[in-house]
Amino acid sequence: MRAVILALAAVVTLLNTVPVFAHHSYAAFDRDKKVTLTGVVKEFQWNNPHAWIQMMVADEKGRQVEWGVECGSPNMMARTGWKRSTLKAGDRIVVVLNPLKDGRPNGSLVTVMLSDGKVLGPGNAPAPRPLGSATRSKS
Amino acid sequence: MPRAFNGLLIPGLLAVWGCTPAAAPPTPETSVSKAAQLKLTGVWVAVGTFENPAGPAPWSQTLWPAQPPFTPFGESESRRLGDIKNVVPCQPGGPIFAMWEMGLFPIEILEAPDRIVIKPENTALPRHIFLDGRKHPEDLEPSWMGHSIGTWDGDVLVVDTIGTNGKTRAINGVGSNAGVSSEDTKPRLPASDQLHLVERLRLVADGEILEDEMTITDPKIYTAPFSVKHYWQRRPDIDVLEYFCGEKPRPDDEGSQPGNATR
Repeated sequence: MRAVILALAAVVTLLNTVPVFAHHSYAAFDRDKKVTLTGVVKEFQWNNPHAWIQMMVADEKGRQVEWGVECGSPNMMARTGWKRSTLKAGDRIVVVLNPLKDGRPNGSLVTVMLSDGKVLGPGNAPAPRPLGSATRSKS
Repeated sequence: MPRAFNGLLIPGLLAVWGCTPAAAPPTPETSVSKAAQLKLTGVWVAVGTFENPAGPAPWSQTLWPAQPPFTPFGESESRRLGDIKNVVPCQPGGPIFAMWEMGLFPIEILEAPDRIVIKPENTALPRHIFLDGRKHPEDLEPSWMGHSIGTWDGDVLVVDTIGTNGKTRAINGVGSNAGVSSEDTKPRLPASDQLHLVERLRLVADGEILEDEMTITDPKIYTAPFSVKHYWQRRPDIDVLEYFCGEKPRPDDEGSQPGNATR
C-alpha cells in the first residue's frame, strides 16, 4: 500500500513539475491516447538520442508481444532519477504510454512503475526553480 | 550519421577544452566590464519570462513573430522546413537555436579574458565569442555556429555573429530534428548564410536570469529585422552532460516517420 501511495505521489509530482515532453515531433504517437501495459523488461537500451525499453506483454489471447517504449535521452533521464541500471531484463513493470497511431506495439513513455513501486517519467526538462534558489549550494 | 562526422568533432572539442595552446596572446586592455566578467560563467536552463521564470515553458509562448516578414524565398524555405521529411536528422542547430533551447538541454557558459565559450548540451558544437578586439575575417569560412565577436556595453554583452552556413534547421524548430510538433503550429523560421545575428546578453533578477535579446537580420529570408528575447535561469545544481543525436537513432524515434520495426 505504501508503495502505491508513493507511486501516486510521484505521478502527481511528475505531472505538476515536468513540462510537456516536447523534444521531438512525435507526430506518429497519439498524444490523446494512453495505454497501460504490465509486462517484463526484455532489454533496456540506454543510448542516445533516446533510450528505449523493450518489454514483453501478454495480449488478450495470452500471446507474448514485444513492445518498444521510447523514453527521453539519457542526459534528461539522468537528471530525473534514471540510471543505466534502473531497468534490467526480467524486471516486472507497469508502463503508461502514448501508442503509435498505426497500431504497432510501440509507444512513447508517459510513466513507468518499477518493480519497487517507484514511478519515473520519460526524462524531461529540469523544472524551473523559484527565484532565490540559484545561490544554494549544489545538491 | 557518417563516421567521418565524429572525426571532425573530436579535434574541435579538444581545442575547446584546452588541449591545444591558446593562439591569441592575452590582451591587457579589452572592453570587458570587470563587473560583468565571469558572472555569466555557469550552467543555464531556458525558462519562461523574467517576470515569471517558472511560468509557461518557453516553447509554448509566442516568442517568435506570428507573421514573419518573409521574402518569397524565405516563405518557400519555411514551408520546406515544415515538412519533417526535408529535415536532415541530427544536424546542429546554429547559434540561434543554441540560444533558444526549450529547457530540455542546458547550456554552459565559460568565460576567459579574451573569449567566451558557450557549450550547448544539445550539440557537440560550441559557440566561441571572441572578446580580444578582432573583427570578423574578410574571407570567412561558413560554419554551423558562425563567427562571433563580443564587446561589453556596460554590463551588457553585445555579440555579433555572421558566417553561418545556412544549413541549419529552422531557428524555432522543436527539438533536434525540427519536427513540426502538433502543439507548435507556428511558421518555421529559416536562417540562411546571410544571417546577421546581434545579441544583447544581460543578467537580471540579481544575476539569476540571463536575458538574450536577439535581433535577426537575414535579407535572403526576411524583408526586415526582428527581435526576440529569451531567458535562461542559472542552475548551479545541474551539470551539462553528453548528448549525441547520432549515436543510435531508430526509425521510429526522433520524430521520424513510422518505421517498419520496433528496434
